[in-house]
Amino acid sequence: MNILPFVFYFIASIIYAVYFIKQSDLVGRIATVILVSGALAHTFVIGMQYVQVEHIPFAGTTGAISAFVWLLALAYLYTEMTTEERSMGIFVVPLMTILQIIPTITNNVSEPPAVLDSPWFAIHVSSLLFAYASFALACVVSITYVLLFKELKTKHLGVFYKRLPSLQVLDVMNGRAITVGWLFLTLGLCVGIVWLTQIQTNTMDPRVQAMSILDPKIFVVLLCWLVYSFELFARHAIGLSGRRSALLSTFGFIIVLLNFLPIGYFVTKSHNFFY
Amino acid sequence: MNLLLLGASHHSAPIDLRERIDFSRRGISEALAELSQIRDIAEVVVLSTCNRSEIYCASEDQKNLKETMASFMSSFHDLPESELVPHLYSRKNAAAARHLFRVTAGLDSLVVGEPQILGQVKDAFAIASDDGYTGALLNRLFHWSFGVGKRVRSETGLGEGAVSVSYAAISLARKIFGNLKKLNVLLVGAGEMAELTATHLRAQQVKSIRVANRTPSQAAVLASKIDGEAVPWENVTTQLISCDIVVTATGSLNPIVKRSHVEAVMKTRRDRPLFIIDIGVPRDVEPTAGKLEQVFLYNIDDLQSIVQENLARRQSQVDRAELMVTEEVDRFMIWLRSRAVIPTLVALRNRFETIRQSELLRLKPKLMSLPESSRIRIEEITRLLIERLLVSPTEQLKAAKNKETIASYSDALNDLFRLLDEQSDDLEEIESTSTSRPEAPSSRDN
Repeated sequence: MNILPFVFYFIASIIYAVYFIKQSDLVGRIATVILVSGALAHTFVIGMQYVQVEHIPFAGTTGAISAFVWLLALAYLYTEMTTEERSMGIFVVPLMTILQIIPTITNNVSEPPAVLDSPWFAIHVSSLLFAYASFALACVVSITYVLLFKELKTKHLGVFYKRLPSLQVLDVMNGRAITVGWLFLTLGLCVGIVWLTQIQTNTMDPRVQAMSILDPKIFVVLLCWLVYSFELFARHAIGLSGRRSALLSTFGFIIVLLNFLPIGYFVTKSHNFFY
Repeated sequence: MNLLLLGASHHSAPIDLRERIDFSRRGISEALAELSQIRDIAEVVVLSTCNRSEIYCASEDQKNLKETMASFMSSFHDLPESELVPHLYSRKNAAAARHLFRVTAGLDSLVVGEPQILGQVKDAFAIASDDGYTGALLNRLFHWSFGVGKRVRSETGLGEGAVSVSYAAISLARKIFGNLKKLNVLLVGAGEMAELTATHLRAQQVKSIRVANRTPSQAAVLASKIDGEAVPWENVTTQLISCDIVVTATGSLNPIVKRSHVEAVMKTRRDRPLFIIDIGVPRDVEPTAGKLEQVFLYNIDDLQSIVQENLARRQSQVDRAELMVTEEVDRFMIWLRSRAVIPTLVALRNRFETIRQSELLRLKPKLMSLPESSRIRIEEITRLLIERLLVSPTEQLKAAKNKETIASYSDALNDLFRLLDEQSDDLEEIESTSTSRPEAPSSRDN
C-alpha cells in the first residue's frame, strides 16, 4: 500500500510530460485524474499511519517528506484547478515522485517520543510543511519564468513560449506562493519557539536541549525566513519582480531542500527524533 | 439525393469580381428564398465571405442544375453570364464535401489555417437552417464539416502561430503581460505600420494609446483615428516611464530611443517589463537597449522571422490536414451512400412484416385457445425474430462502399423477396430503427 502513491505519481509524471509535448486536453485530464488518485492514495497511507501511531505521522524526517509531497500535491492540484493551467505538472510532479522514493523505501513510522505529544508540535510541523510546499511551487513557477524569459530575450521562441502562460501570470503566481509560504513559515517558527520555551525547562532530552540558533537545522530555516522576507519586502517596497524575484525564489527553495534532506538526516542534533 | 456546389473564391476570381458577387450585399436570406424556388433544389446554404461566394445544395436531379444556378448567380448579382461563368467552379457529391471540409479546416483560405472561416461557415449554415432551407443532408454535411474544422485545428498545428507582423507583436505582448487591458501604449511615428499595429492594440482594449510624431498635426490625426492621445515629440523619453508597450515606426536615419534613455527610465520603472517593437527601417531604437533587464526589444526582422517560422510550421501540417479531410470525406460518403439503400431496406422490412401478420392471422383460430399472456409472448417472439433476421442485411447494405455493390445487393433483394411492390416512401422509419449507421465522431456535433 505504501508504494501506491509513488506509483501514481510516477505514472502521472510521464503523462504530464506527454501532455506538455502534445497539449491534448484528453491527456491532460488523464494526468490530473492519475495525480488525484495518487493524492487520495497518499491521504489513505498517511491516515493509516496516523491510526497506527495515534499521532500525526509527520514527526520524523521521512514522515515529513511524505507529508511535504502530499501537501505539494494538494497545493499543485488546487493551482491547476483554479488556473486551468496544466503546463506546470511536468515540473512539479517529477519532483514529488523523486522525493516520494524516500518514504516509500524506508517506511518506518515509529512511536514518537512523549515530548512531541503536543498540539503545538502538530501546528509547528504542519505549518512548516505547508510553507515548504508553497515554496516548492514558487520555485517551479520561477524556473518556468526564467525559461520563458530566456526564450523571449533571445528571440528563440520555442516550446516554453508555446506552452507556458505569460511572464506576468507566472510572476503573480510566484508572488502569491511565497506570500502564503512566508505566512506559514512565520507561524510555524513562532509556534516552535513558544512550544520550545514550554518544554525546554522541564525536559532533559538532549535533542530538546540542542534546539538553539546554533543548530544547523534551525539556523538554516532562519536563513530561509530571511531570504523570503527579503524577497517579499523587495517585491512590495522596491518593486522587485520578474527574473530577479524568480531567481530568489529558486535560491530560497534550494536552501529549503538542503535543510530537508542532508541537514535533516545527517547534521542536525536537535530535530533528529527519528527518521 | 445528391450534393452540388457552385461558387467562386480567391483561387478562381479577382477581387473586383468577388466584390460584385458578394451575397451579403443584397442579403443572404433573399438569395436563399430565390434559390429555394428553383424546382430541383431541395436544400440550400449560401456561404459568402470576402474571399468566397458559394452555394451548396441538395437535389434529387442534378441535370442542368449547375447551369440554372449559374444563371441565378448572374441575374441575382446583375452580371453578364459570360463575365461570371469562367470564374465559377462546381463540385458534386464527394468533391463538394471535400471542398467544404477543406474550407472549414482553413486549407482553402488565403492564409492557411486562419480561424475566422469556421465561424463564417457556422453563421451561413445558421441563417439557412433557421429559415428552414436545410434538411437531413445539408444538416449532416455542415455539422460534419464543423467537426472536421475542429479536428484539423486541434490535431495539427494548422491554426497555430501569428502569421502577420502586427499579430506577431500582439502575441509577444500577450506572452509578456498576459492581459493587455491595463497597459499604456506609446506610438512613435504616425505612418501606416504604426497605425496598423495601433489598430490591433486598440482591438485588445489597451488602457491608452499615446502618439508622438515630429509633425504634431500628423500625431493628432492618427490619435483621433485610433481613439488615442497626441503627446509632444520632446516627451518621448519621459513617456517611456509610464508606457509598457512602445511601437516605433519613423523614417528617422538615427536612433530616436537610445540605450541610455531606456537605462535611465528602467530605474524609475523598477522591474516592470518594457516591450519595444521597433518596426522602423533604419531602426529607431539602439539595439543594445534590448540587453537591459526586463526590456524586450523586437525589430521588424525579428517579427518577420517569427511570421516566416509560423507560416512554415503551418505549411508542414498541410499534408496531415489533407489526409484527415480525405478520411472524413470517405466516412461522410459511406453515410451518404447508405441513404441510397433505405428504400430497399424499408421494402424488405415491410415484406417481412406482411408475412408475419398474415401468418398470425392464419393461425388465429388455433392461438385463440391459448391464454392471453402466451399470445402476447408469441407476438413478441415473432417481431423479435424479424428484427434479428434483418440486422445482418441492414448492416451489410449500409456498409457497401460503392454504387455498384449497393445496386447489385438491392437487385438481389428485390428479386429474391419480390420487393418491388413493397417500396415505401417512409424513409425515416428504418433510419430510426437501424443500429449500424456510420456515426460522425461525437466531437463533431456542436
